[in-house]
Amino acid sequence: MKRADMLLIAVILIAALAFLVPRYFSGNEAKGGQGKELVANVTVDGKHYRTIKLTKEEQTIDIRTERGYNILKVHDYGVEMYEADCPDQVCLGFGFITLPKQTIVCLPHRVLVEIASGAGEDEIDGFVQ
Amino acid sequence: MGLSNSESSQALKRTVIIAIFSAVAVVLGIVEAQIPLSAMGLMPGAKLGFANIMILTCIYFLRGRDALMLVILKTLLTAFILGTFSSLLFSLFGSLLSFIVMFLLMKGGRMQLSLIGVSIAGSIAHNIGQLAAASMVMGTTSIMYYLPILLVTGIVTGIAVGYAVRYLVSSLSQISLFEEFLR
Repeated sequence: MKRADMLLIAVILIAALAFLVPRYFSGNEAKGGQGKELVANVTVDGKHYRTIKLTKEEQTIDIRTERGYNILKVHDYGVEMYEADCPDQVCLGFGFITLPKQTIVCLPHRVLVEIASGAGEDEIDGFVQ
Repeated sequence: MGLSNSESSQALKRTVIIAIFSAVAVVLGIVEAQIPLSAMGLMPGAKLGFANIMILTCIYFLRGRDALMLVILKTLLTAFILGTFSSLLFSLFGSLLSFIVMFLLMKGGRMQLSLIGVSIAGSIAHNIGQLAAASMVMGTTSIMYYLPILLVTGIVTGIAVGYAVRYLVSSLSQISLFEEFLR
């Protein structure tokens, strides 16, 4: 490896840290859990589809579009993609998400699930153009 | 055609090399798809980028348009075989951006960056291209949430691919098929 390689790696690492550090600090007050009233915004093809309240009780949500179906499962104040009939199954790999701004994306079906804090302090709108 | 004997023999060699490289790249893509990265706690959709080994080696030996042909062939064939046709657009966007960045760095920045640096830059460009295509289609920038993680994984996979290319280039240079393409 040459010196320029090291420089490139350093620049990329600093850029990654610059994105990560503010998220780490703001993460404390934006934690999920009981009484935090988080919601999951589901958009299909850029259009708003549903807003789901994240509860402790289990609930399943079917998202059926002309491209295929996705099944979301809400439990323990979080949400996960439970089933999808897309070929790559990447969306299932996102796992169980509980924190604001975390997302589940299903590119083949153009489905986007994003966690946001519920009504009131809605700073998320600054990020979604 | 007005090609002389040695010219047509070189054109044939280029075609053969592109064919072999794209076949290997597709196989590497299939092998890579069997490795469950997301089960290992990594970002879903993150890939090792083995196919990039062949693309970078092709840029090293052949002309830019040959490598571009390889990129398009590899992306189309992998999408057809793995059956993720709907995500073809995204991988094409990522591959093309990655190719452009690596090509420019190889032509202009060979003095500064080694093959490993070029490979890292290509890997990062691939990630950014895919995320950009995805956020355009989905009409939201919230997918960029995953950019920092992808940057870090891009460095790691880029280094691995870069070392593989270095060994491959030094081995292939000893084969007579590649002799006349050496610089």
